[in-house]
Amino acid sequence: MSASTNTRAQPGSTVLWEKGDAAGHDMLGTRTFGFWLYMLTDAMVYAALFAAFGVLAHNAGLTSKSMLASVFDAQAAYRDTIVLFTSVLAYGYAMVALKKGSRGGVAIGTAVAMILGLVFLAMVGSDLERLFSQGIVPQLNGFLSIVFTLIIYHALHIIVGALWMLVMLMQMGRDGFTSNVVYRLINLRIFWHFQAVIWVLLFVFVYLQGKII
Amino acid sequence: MSKRGIKGALKALCAPLLLTLGGCAKSGLFLLEPQGVISRVTYHYFRLDVGIMLLIIIPTALLAIFAMWRYRKGGRGDYRPEWSHSYLIEAVVWGIPLITVGVLSYLSIKAIYEVNPYNPGAISSKGSASGKPLDVDVIATDWRWLFIYPGQKIASVDRLVIPAGVPVRFRLTSTSVVNDFIIPQLVGMIDVMPGMRTKQTLVADRVGRYVGYSADYSGAGLSWMNFETKAVTRAQFARWVKKTQAAPQALTYAGFNRFAKPYLAVYHHRMVFGHVQSGLLDHVVEEVMSGKVWRTPMAMTENMVRYMKKQQANVKAGEY
Amino acid sequence: MFVHLQGPWNPVWGRLSLQAIPYQNPILLGTFTFAMIAALAIVGAVVYFRAGPYLWREWFTTVDHKKIGVMYCLLGLVMLFRGFADALMIRTQQAIAVGPHSPGYLGALHGYLTPFHIGQVYTAHGLIMVVFAATPLLVGIMNIVVPLQIGARDMAYPYLNALGFWLTAAAGALVMLSLFVGNFAHGGWYGFLPLFELPYSPGVGVDYWMWAFQLSAVGTTMGSINLIATIVKMRAPGMTWMRMPIFTWASLSTNLIALTSFPVLMVSLALIGLDRYFGTHFYTAGQGGNLMLYNDLFWVWGHPEVYFLILPAFGMMSEIIPTFSEKTLFGYATMVVASFAIGGVSWGVWLHHFFTMAAEPSVNSFYSVTTMLVGIPTGVKVFNWIFTMYRGRVRFELPMLWALLALFLLLVGGMTGMMNAFATSDYMWHNGVFVVAHFHMMVLLIAASIFGGVEYWFPKVFGFKLEQRWGKWFFWFMVLGTAWVFVPMFILGFAGMTRRLDYIPVTQWAPYLRVMLVGMAFYVMALGFFVAHLYVSLRDRVKNRVGADPWGTTRNLEWMTHSPVPAYNFAYIPHVHARDEWAWRKEHGMASLGNESFEDIHMPRNTGVPVLLGGLAFVLCFALVWRIWWLAAAGLGAVVLVIILRSFARDTDEVIPAKTVAGVEGGAQDALPAPARG
Ligand code: HEA
Ligand code: HEA
Ligand code: CUA
Ligand SMILES: [Cu+2]
Repeated sequence: MSASTNTRAQPGSTVLWEKGDAAGHDMLGTRTFGFWLYMLTDAMVYAALFAAFGVLAHNAGLTSKSMLASVFDAQAAYRDTIVLFTSVLAYGYAMVALKKGSRGGVAIGTAVAMILGLVFLAMVGSDLERLFSQGIVPQLNGFLSIVFTLIIYHALHIIVGALWMLVMLMQMGRDGFTSNVVYRLINLRIFWHFQAVIWVLLFVFVYLQGKII
Repeated sequence: MSKRGIKGALKALCAPLLLTLGGCAKSGLFLLEPQGVISRVTYHYFRLDVGIMLLIIIPTALLAIFAMWRYRKGGRGDYRPEWSHSYLIEAVVWGIPLITVGVLSYLSIKAIYEVNPYNPGAISSKGSASGKPLDVDVIATDWRWLFIYPGQKIASVDRLVIPAGVPVRFRLTSTSVVNDFIIPQLVGMIDVMPGMRTKQTLVADRVGRYVGYSADYSGAGLSWMNFETKAVTRAQFARWVKKTQAAPQALTYAGFNRFAKPYLAVYHHRMVFGHVQSGLLDHVVEEVMSGKVWRTPMAMTENMVRYMKKQQANVKAGEY
Repeated sequence: MFVHLQGPWNPVWGRLSLQAIPYQNPILLGTFTFAMIAALAIVGAVVYFRAGPYLWREWFTTVDHKKIGVMYCLLGLVMLFRGFADALMIRTQQAIAVGPHSPGYLGALHGYLTPFHIGQVYTAHGLIMVVFAATPLLVGIMNIVVPLQIGARDMAYPYLNALGFWLTAAAGALVMLSLFVGNFAHGGWYGFLPLFELPYSPGVGVDYWMWAFQLSAVGTTMGSINLIATIVKMRAPGMTWMRMPIFTWASLSTNLIALTSFPVLMVSLALIGLDRYFGTHFYTAGQGGNLMLYNDLFWVWGHPEVYFLILPAFGMMSEIIPTFSEKTLFGYATMVVASFAIGGVSWGVWLHHFFTMAAEPSVNSFYSVTTMLVGIPTGVKVFNWIFTMYRGRVRFELPMLWALLALFLLLVGGMTGMMNAFATSDYMWHNGVFVVAHFHMMVLLIAASIFGGVEYWFPKVFGFKLEQRWGKWFFWFMVLGTAWVFVPMFILGFAGMTRRLDYIPVTQWAPYLRVMLVGMAFYVMALGFFVAHLYVSLRDRVKNRVGADPWGTTRNLEWMTHSPVPAYNFAYIPHVHARDEWAWRKEHGMASLGNESFEDIHMPRNTGVPVLLGGLAFVLCFALVWRIWWLAAAGLGAVVLVIILRSFARDTDEVIPAKTVAGVEGGAQDALPAPARG
């Protein structure tokens, strides 16, 4: 049976056209869905980098573990983790405030999250500085190349996130909760949480690797 | 279709070539004229594979032609626009390819084990080859082949001499970039990679000359990076070894560093070394692993015209 | 921080100097002159007809998915032309440079191109054809057709759509520029490691290759996000999943592949960049690098990529064949399943691109089997098309001819693909011209279905049909060319000839190489017929005007609105009742039930920002290629700034008033479809 004939038509009563604009598309859903798709691509980038990490660590064999154990400071990384998670928490608070429609709450939450993000950056940065000054640089071998690439690539995301928060603070101040601002705030939450998740992976595979695993 | 039929059909396709060559024995169709154990086994499975695939593809093509011709507008086929599904047909079109892929997979896996470069079932089980295997170390430079015979402590550039009927075991590495070692009538490809060592095994059926080359793009000199393979009798091989051992030039680790500098082997400067420092291949692998590079000068990439003129002049002046 | 370079560098110009311009090379000089004349002619025409403002207003700044689609297709065509010129050079070089005593011209020892030069030619050919010709053409067609097929007014993110296009265009421009400033990579379109490391490729060629590739990857990823979101979120009411047109299904599956695989490509390329710019050791042979890592990362993208190309082609065939068989598609549900099966399995086969790397036999066995598995769903597709024609009424109009050519090419390409998948056979011809011939069957299949798709949807987009006489000449000469070039190439494959040769040492192969030149001559004539085809079609455009449904037997929503499609696609969003909605309406005599009253329509406003961002990205990449750090920093800063500033823009929408809509609809009323033929 032809696919096109399997629905009977009653010419008089069949609805052929939707009246009204945009036919009820849910814009928030569309925007967030697209952002999730973007996050998926970013996840694939990280997946590829972690795969490279696996390969290059395997190449380096035992030296990789001892190097991780001796040069990477797990305690500092633990402090970084606390800071980043607090930042995520602050942003979560902003989201709660958003539900209530409180502009002040969102502003405070976002600002705190941003500052903590910057603190995190400074901490990671100073740790890298310490390593570089000891001559432990990405150019030394393939394993260090990937380790530093992962850390720096994550840090770049944090920079983008912080910048984004700054922009949101300004747009909120100017426009209040317009639909654009709300979409962006919600997408920023996805982004920020995702970076925290990635950091956990980094923490486990890079900073803790040599210690316990 | 029978195996012979396929070969015949392929040969027929190649008729223009055979015509131009008159009676010349070598048609240049290397893959269809295997002369070694490994290439013969490969060829055998190749024909099976092609035959089975053709069993499906040819009827499919015929069916397509039939459908479009018979049901052309104004043709004799009856028009039934509502017909768009049939469980029977679905079952057949999923089922037949599935079974075929099953059979092909079985053959493919079997073949992979038989010509496994590291330990080919075809050589170790059939016992078709006799005698102690000959070891050859192969180093690909930019852009020449160096064949070292560690047992005999000699080496040869761009010419491989092997005894026919004897298994030859290769260990291969490269100084700078990836190459791919192949002697189409004797054995298929194996990658030759810097800082790594791969293996290959072959047995030549009979005495003869075969072409070998690098198949993987490795830079400007690739097209000339071919070598002659001479399969000789055992006695001839022994004589060749003796003669080569008398050659004056020796290859040391330090000498190799000079040898391995990029060189376009346009005029096939074939050489032999009467003595080779032992363990050269392992030494090269280690050096490369710890960061040694033989870099390509800009002149050999950007402005090749000038470079090649210069090299031509140098060759005439007796340098290489 | 940066690595040490061979050759000069200075802070102002980076590596750029007058020597970068290959003025001594007569071939490039000729090309340059030709390009300049063409460019001047175009600019002259624009100025003469005062078309500048019009082009800027209506095209460059547009966010209309149809116009963006058309621009994608134009970009693709121009690049197809360039790719073809490259193919011509490869074939002539190889026909001349065979045998030890072949002469050399223009300073080359053999043939007329030096090894380094011909290396650039086929690298450019491969990259351009895959990334800058086939991909934009397919993305362009999807851009035009998908929103129409699902009854949407635009893509989910029109602005992103424009941005994706301009980034791709910038990448294309970068490749073109490498002809005249500096040089291109010489090692093959997919790159070889460690050959592409700085010590072995000291020039800027690899950097051009890498940045152009990278930029286009970003563009394509954006496009895929957009198309997926459009398909998932923007379907007209009533269009359930199983009522979606098959081409939309194909677009969905193909963009899922793109979305997940292109990021991997970006990583594989970025790591080369880190090695080349900062001296890290990802892919070096020594110091803990791993050159196989590149092969894995690249082909994890590379193999899905070829299915990314072929699925939309299959989709187009699945639209064209039912239309010209005057029948529904056979086995719609299996078609959908097969598309996703191909997409899914494509992730598990990449190792077949390096069977010869001495992996364990068990590993090669695994990938050999998974590769062959792809043949099953593909075969199902082939049979479904055949059974669509079966009991139909096949009309051999141009789009159908192309689709049928594609079907037969698929049989040859698939047969040879299965032969490659048989690992031990692949040991014999991996990196040989047999593989080249295999994939040209496949890519020409894609080209054929693109031409078919263009013929098919052209009247929808432009409102008039392409003429058929020259088009048929074009078709048959493409067939002839393909036969004469690629049959000899298959034979050479059995001869054991390898790829990428600048000089062919085996004299016995000469006759085949010469025969292939005949094929190239046919191709050149085909190109002439193509131009004639376009010219005559444009000349007779008024005579060839058509209504909404020019083919008479079409089945999907896109044929329900006017040709050419108005800016807002549908004055009213259609309500969908069946798979093949348009056929359903025609069957039930509802084809011409028009609308009476109209409403305002909100559409996104045109914007110049995507063009600007494309330009800045171009500057950024150019600066990075030549290592002009200040310019790169400025470019990057500008990109970030523009993105941020744009996010502050407030009114990005505009309204098409009901009156305008009524005008358009009223004027087009008479163009509404005649009842189905036959
Ligand atoms: C989509 C991909 C695609 C397409 C369509 C083609 C098309 C063609 N290719 Fe290409 N090719 C590749 C992808 C493609 N190729 C790749 C990936 C490689 C590997 C590169 C590498 O080694 O790294 C390759 C390599 C390659 C080689 C191998 C070089 C070697 O390794 O030894 C050769 C040799 O003959 C070749 C020839 C051809 C020919 C004759 C065509 C012909 O079929 C072309 C026919 C096309 C036309 C006739 C076009 C007509 C043009 C128009 C209709 C547009 C007109 C537009 C305007 C006027 C604006 N190609
Ligand atoms: C769009 C492009 C495209 C498509 C669709 C394919 C499809 C396939 N390809 Fe191809 N391939 C390329 C483009 C493509 N390929 C390119 C560009 C390269 C080389 C890149 C480079 O090195 O530069 C390549 C290289 C390549 C290799 C590596 C060769 C080498 O480098 O040594 C292999 C090996 O397995 C392979 C296999 C296959 C297979 C099995 C299919 C299958 O999908 C084919 C399936 C189709 C059929 C089988 C026919 C229809 C089926 C039937 C009629 C039913 C009956 C069938 C059975 C019983 C199985 N391809
Ligand atoms: Cu591949 Cu070593
Ligand atoms: Cu593949």
